[in-house]
Amino acid sequence: MKEIMARLKKDKVGIVGVIGVGLVLLLGLFGPWLSPHDSTEMYKEHMLEGPSATYWFGTDEFGRDIFSRVVEGARVSLYVGLISVGIGASLGFVFGLIAGFFQNWVDNLIMRIMDILFAFPDILLALTIVAVLGPNLENTMIAIGIVFTPVFTRTVRAAVIAVKEMEFIISAKAIGVKTHKVIFRHVSPNVLAPFIVQSTLALSGAILTEAALSFLGLGIQPPNPSWGAMLNESRQYMEIAPWIAIFPALFIIVTIFCFNLLGDSLRDLLDPKLK
Amino acid sequence: MKKNWMVLLMGIVLATLLLSACSNEGTSNEADADGGSGEAAAEQVLKIGNDQEPAGLDPHKVPAHSSIRIYEKIYDSLLTFDEDMKVQPELAEKWEQPDETTYVFTLREGVKFHNGREMTAEDVKYSFERIMDEETASIAKSYFDKVESIEVVSPTEIKFTLSEPYAPFLSYVASTNAAIVAKEVVEENGDLNQVAVGTGPFKLDEWLPDNHVKLSKNEDYYKEGQPKLDGVTYLTMKDESARLAAIRTGEVHVTTLSSQSIPLAEKSDGVEIKSYQSTEYSYVGFNVNKEPFNDVKVRQAISLAVDRKEVADVVWKGDAVLSGPIPESMGQWAIDVTQEELYQQNIEKAKELLAEAGYEDGFETVISTASTYPDMVDTAQLLQQQLEAIGIKAEIRQLEWGQYIDTWTNGDHEMLVGRNSSGSDPDRSIGFFFSTEGSANVWGFSDEKIDQLAEEGRTTIDPEKRVEIYNEAQKRVIEQSPNLFLVSPEKFFIVRDSVDNYSPTANEPENFNDVVIME
Amino acid sequence: MFAYILRRLLMLIPVLFGISVFIFLIMKMIPGDVVSTILGTEATDEARRQLEKQFGLNLPIYQQYLQWMGGVLTGDFGVSLRTGKPILGDIISRFGLTLELTMLSAFISWIIAIPLGIVAALKRNTSTDFGVRIISLLGVSVPNFALATLLLLVLSLAFSYYPPAGYVSLFEDPMKNLQMMILPAFVLGTAMAGAVMRMTRSSILEVLRQDFIRTIRAKGASERIVIFNHALKNAMIPILTIIGMQIGTLLGGTVIIEQIFSLPGLGQMVLTAINQRDYPVVQGAVLFIATVFVLINLLVDILYSYLDPRITYK
Repeated sequence: MKEIMARLKKDKVGIVGVIGVGLVLLLGLFGPWLSPHDSTEMYKEHMLEGPSATYWFGTDEFGRDIFSRVVEGARVSLYVGLISVGIGASLGFVFGLIAGFFQNWVDNLIMRIMDILFAFPDILLALTIVAVLGPNLENTMIAIGIVFTPVFTRTVRAAVIAVKEMEFIISAKAIGVKTHKVIFRHVSPNVLAPFIVQSTLALSGAILTEAALSFLGLGIQPPNPSWGAMLNESRQYMEIAPWIAIFPALFIIVTIFCFNLLGDSLRDLLDPKLK
Repeated sequence: MKKNWMVLLMGIVLATLLLSACSNEGTSNEADADGGSGEAAAEQVLKIGNDQEPAGLDPHKVPAHSSIRIYEKIYDSLLTFDEDMKVQPELAEKWEQPDETTYVFTLREGVKFHNGREMTAEDVKYSFERIMDEETASIAKSYFDKVESIEVVSPTEIKFTLSEPYAPFLSYVASTNAAIVAKEVVEENGDLNQVAVGTGPFKLDEWLPDNHVKLSKNEDYYKEGQPKLDGVTYLTMKDESARLAAIRTGEVHVTTLSSQSIPLAEKSDGVEIKSYQSTEYSYVGFNVNKEPFNDVKVRQAISLAVDRKEVADVVWKGDAVLSGPIPESMGQWAIDVTQEELYQQNIEKAKELLAEAGYEDGFETVISTASTYPDMVDTAQLLQQQLEAIGIKAEIRQLEWGQYIDTWTNGDHEMLVGRNSSGSDPDRSIGFFFSTEGSANVWGFSDEKIDQLAEEGRTTIDPEKRVEIYNEAQKRVIEQSPNLFLVSPEKFFIVRDSVDNYSPTANEPENFNDVVIME
Repeated sequence: MFAYILRRLLMLIPVLFGISVFIFLIMKMIPGDVVSTILGTEATDEARRQLEKQFGLNLPIYQQYLQWMGGVLTGDFGVSLRTGKPILGDIISRFGLTLELTMLSAFISWIIAIPLGIVAALKRNTSTDFGVRIISLLGVSVPNFALATLLLLVLSLAFSYYPPAGYVSLFEDPMKNLQMMILPAFVLGTAMAGAVMRMTRSSILEVLRQDFIRTIRAKGASERIVIFNHALKNAMIPILTIIGMQIGTLLGGTVIIEQIFSLPGLGQMVLTAINQRDYPVVQGAVLFIATVFVLINLLVDILYSYLDPRITYK
């Protein structure tokens, strides 16, 4: 781990990513104290006004303060990202571990189910699940989480199988040590690297998927802002009031960009072949 | 070497992009420049940017607006409406009413179906029987429940006998859903989805879902010299930004846009905005079986808390008028609601009423609405904010269309924001939505007085008396507030300057019969 | 090899069966049914019951499934409940569009990404490398509906350009077709380019480090020959995998772009049908997309072994 940190320090691109992700997380955490207005308050005498001293990023079609909404949106979007990746990763971890450990009909069953989920195009799967559960914040996260489950399951399963074939496990088996304990002890560190990379990248994927669901009218419910929903609502105003579109777009792009930068350099750092 | 190939390929792609950009710029400029030269263009096919895919083309079965706008050009009914929503002859040249329950229609002679066969009274009989047949599952069936018998008197004369006097009858005969279809076509094909053979100004050429619907001129149309166009093509463009770009560049001749995009279209060269007051209105519906909405005071308090002007200004950018149960565009039937006390915002009074009902501190509730229509979501957001002033905390539940309809049908809601069409007869606005047995009374609302007025309205033939009855009924609905009526929006068509003789109205928003495309 | 392919094909059967059951059940679970969406606010109980009977929705659910599956197995996907059109024909004609869009986007992403990936690998850890990585990641980071809207807006305002309306297939009118497809393909391609670029970069880096490259270099071959004749060829394998996956994903994942550019592809078909609860259409189209997806994955695996003789299949 120390070595990774040391190497990360040398990777300029990675550092940019770390700083960016850090800033966005801070924005999400401390946002409410930063925003000068309530994100859902409508200042109707100030509809569609450009950036000013009072409304730093301007106002939207209801006269709501865009800066406050973008800040609040950081919370919503990050929350969606973290929880849905959390759901996908935990489900994936459990299923992957079980599948990789048993490697029998249980494995077969789990992996075929994952194949089924995997064969659905992401956005259509998320869309259908949201349609069944009803569109709201929780269900959006569940849907995105399910969409990510197969990838995590495959990653973990592959790592478990790799560990099982390591020499010391085989020799431990030979001298009669209970192998599953040994495997569990060794699986975690081996799984960690691909897992971290996968999660960082999935975070950006989750934020984008939420935005796409918003486009299709199945995202987070108004008046609560997610960046995706804001960006989608702003499409009609791109021309007369570009600030409505520009700020949420900028924040989405920068955030996803930073997560991708981080994920990318972590992948390089953690890939033993590229040392 | 390979790298050079890559560069070359990139170059080709870029060049294609630029070339296509330039070539189209050329054509659209031509269209702009020639806008007013006064000569009909060689190609008389009107291209329409269509916001929604039709849901089916059977006029007896599909009530969706996206379908009606297409099949209304293929089929005719016996009667039609003029601008004041009064019935006028169409396939029937004239009609008589020998007594209160008998109607005799005389058909226009020499009207031909698209397959060349002449339309006769037998087809009229067949069409109505098809509507009234349970197997058809026609949405217009309930319109004609009072029809006892249909009799072909001669090839051009047909007699309807009703079981009791029924005032809305002629309006329903004039409905697009009472279209006259050709008997043999239905029998050959089983349904009217794939084929459409009517007597209307245009024939169906082709329907490719999510792509286009092509209509071509009916050469034998009974109105001499109409239509002037050779065809109409509906191009499916679901995305508003796509329709805006397409109308600006002249890629389509006509399209619809929401109020939000109208200022943008106005600024563009070569296009004109045409508007008409629609027969639609937005409303808030209550489930009057659920607490606290079972208390009329709570409903009235909410009515007083709502600023309807703000709904018109924010949601429709000012392009909407206040509406009661029957919107302004229904002419004689509408009442002026601007003076109604319950339709003026009065927060103090609203709070008083809430306190009287026992909700001094307000309450929590859920507003359901359809995510498919941005104006409904916007209205819900605005109401949510307005209701905060009297302590009502509402959560918005956006439902996808199918789910919304389900919620609507099952009365599975507390407050519901929606938009309805008032149809063509006031019976729809009162009897259909608010009488105890009304098939669209999803509010659980029951009021003796309304039931009685609705019944009177249905059985009174004299138009003046009917107006009085419906005036009274509307006042009663406003007072009881099972629904709060908000505003009736204007609808817009964005039209290229090259399109001549087109003016949309509430009764015929898309009459293209006289339209000519100029060079 | 043949036995391997056969075994893989056999394994597809339970997966496809699972998909058919899954999509069938999930469609039934979506609130609001086809009858409600057809009749809308005009629904009467009588009309509802009649339509349910006509669509066979009054049968027990397993019977409905068996009827549908029975049809599918004999090549009859049924007709749309809304339009009455045969479903299979519609799927196939739309598949043509989606496939073309997918291939075009993939192609655009390659011509952007592969050269950039090679450059980045050769100049690893220089500012060129960082620059290339940042540019290609930017493409992935923009929500594609925003990019598409912006593109249409800018082109229509600045160049008075809008792609021709009313889709025509490549065979009907190639030039018009390409004009319609190039913008959406560009939007999708830029989003894909990032992943292809980084895969190219890391594969080349990995290959360059291997012994045989050192040997070739030691023999005095020029750098160009080393890269193009040897390194790239070996780096193709992982690149191919990611491309295969992307094509699979795009097959149903182009739905938003299809909507913005008014293209009647498979994604639009499924979306419209989900909204209208047109059950047999959703079921048929999803089953079709999933089948193509698993077949493409299989094809990629087979190509994999063809390109890399070290990999053998039991």
